[in-house]
Amino acid sequence: MHKRCQTTLPGGAVLSNVLEVDSLSVEFRINGEYFHAVHDVSFHIESGETLGIVGESGCGKSVTSLALLRLLTKNARVSGEVSYKGRNLLDLPDREMRQIRGNEVSMIFQEPMTSLNPVYKIGAQISEALRLHTQTTPRRAWQQSMEMLRSVGIARAEGVMGEYPHQLSGGMRQRVMIAMSMVCNPQLLIADEPTTALDVTIQAQILDLMRKLSKDLGTSVLLITHDLGVVAEMCDRVAVMYAGEIVEQGTAKDIFHNPQHPYTRGLLNAIPKLDAASKERLQPIEGNVPSLTRMPKGCHFAPRCPLVFEKCRAEAPGLFRVEPGHLSRCWLNDAQEGN
Amino acid sequence: MSEVLLEIRDLKKHFPVRGGISRIGGGAVRAVDGVSLEVRAGETLGIVGESGCGKSTLGRSILRLIDPTSGVVNFSGRNILKLNRSQMRAIRREMQIVFQDPYASLNPRYTIFQTLSEPLEVHGLFDASERKHRVYAILERVGLDPSYASRYPHEFSGGQRQRIGIARALILQPKLMVLDEPVAALDVSVQSQVINLLEDLQDEYQLTYIFIAHDLSVVKHISDRVLVMYLGKMAELASADELFANPLHPYTQALLSAVPVPNPDVRRERQILQGDLPSPANPPPGCVFHTRCPIAEDVCRREIPEWREVKPAHFTACHLVKGGTP
Repeated sequence: MHKRCQTTLPGGAVLSNVLEVDSLSVEFRINGEYFHAVHDVSFHIESGETLGIVGESGCGKSVTSLALLRLLTKNARVSGEVSYKGRNLLDLPDREMRQIRGNEVSMIFQEPMTSLNPVYKIGAQISEALRLHTQTTPRRAWQQSMEMLRSVGIARAEGVMGEYPHQLSGGMRQRVMIAMSMVCNPQLLIADEPTTALDVTIQAQILDLMRKLSKDLGTSVLLITHDLGVVAEMCDRVAVMYAGEIVEQGTAKDIFHNPQHPYTRGLLNAIPKLDAASKERLQPIEGNVPSLTRMPKGCHFAPRCPLVFEKCRAEAPGLFRVEPGHLSRCWLNDAQEGN
Repeated sequence: MSEVLLEIRDLKKHFPVRGGISRIGGGAVRAVDGVSLEVRAGETLGIVGESGCGKSTLGRSILRLIDPTSGVVNFSGRNILKLNRSQMRAIRREMQIVFQDPYASLNPRYTIFQTLSEPLEVHGLFDASERKHRVYAILERVGLDPSYASRYPHEFSGGQRQRIGIARALILQPKLMVLDEPVAALDVSVQSQVINLLEDLQDEYQLTYIFIAHDLSVVKHISDRVLVMYLGKMAELASADELFANPLHPYTQALLSAVPVPNPDVRRERQILQGDLPSPANPPPGCVFHTRCPIAEDVCRREIPEWREVKPAHFTACHLVKGGTP
């Protein structure tokens, strides 16, 4: 019954990566012209691990997550490869994609109010996934959904099953969303800003719950957020995105203790910290995030970078290896440059 | 110590609830329920709490954008709740507000110039050429190019719009600025630009800030003193350094421990509050926090805790915190 554990390919090779994304690009058509929202993004998620994608609004983190599940609108042009258990999700026929989506790979959205259907009862919405993806009877599906609600910490699960989303608080709705996404025992959970709309004390409850569920069930998590605190707390590895590209990737320790890319360093310096001596002046990153239609030539971060030099404006840097598993898209990390 | 600019005594704002089909009076949402405090000229008072704790209602009641149900708001020694419309309009020149959502709080049909010169016109200040001069000067001061004056809000990014919102409040040279979640809608890299700007402006114009936010790190950074609110009531008040180093109220402690720390090596013992905020229309008896409090005792369920100074300049309302006198 359990689908997790390592994937064995026909031929006997064993994969421990749940998901491998290779040169994913997404372009949107704006006024007849295509612009890159996501450019050449590659990462992988190992079985049971939590990968964080962190970045500011417009950096392409949500578009990336939607592209993985093929949830983008028609004006998007997606290229590259999203390999899940050795199959490229981008090439699957719609019917097979539907069998994976919500079943083996599921998603939690940011807005629990707008992502639940207001006219269906909670029970119907959670058990829908089971009825679509498994052979169980409606009665068993209902039972199983109720157990799931209990395991996400809703005490009066039986009552909530018969209620509508508007009757629940924000934290409760987000628990329902989590129950819905976990009820089919997914191998991979994509969580797009799952706690951004919540208060800190409720956020702490939800993060705790996600951590517990992913540990107990061995689910891999792709966590998309703008909050560096949430990343530090939840993630094994982190990819930092800026203006449609991954600018740095590494373990959480790499990113927080040995950040290489000037943007990552800038972000870490820009946030006020609870343990800092108060009234220490913040060091902002000057300027604004560039818009899709006016992406700078060369390095996308060059116009805001304190360390910019000539080459940055002329030529886009690739991802350079700092250490094994730690990559940075900055000319300063290019060994050829003599650094 | 500088003089008291704003004094609030037992301020309450109850929104009546007319329930159901019969439309006959039910209870009331006690959004702000008995807040008393003083703000001194030049200081920054931070107000934190979760959504629904009444922090925004308090901010708006101070400016009488919402009329409080009862209480006293003394601004520069006058109780503004007793002022009539024209007196109130005159005094609003000295107290301004910056709203959270820079997208919704600027008139989309006004150019930036119109938005910024309107407050001067309303108050009948200066002639046209002086107004123009002041608009350009204030734009420059908040870090925007004066040539932007002829543009419309949609042409700006969130951070730029918030600078415009600050300029609009600042152009009247107020004494008090209520900043209601001024950076919550901004990206991290831009947020710190705006915080630095606010700090510079405060030094330059000797402004007094009431800084309302839910982000504790931001509040700690900018505030001299911090008030923690829960369900319309004051839970704890102390200097920022003291409150964050030595929180006494169990709610403050839980709130602080819930903040994720941007350091993967820190794995704190987290105190996770169970349950949700109770409805302010039907607050629990006794201490409003007892339903979620990890250490609540019998007395908490029965009696409303008194607001006490438990250490010099450190106030809290909790039965179980020892020391001090009411």
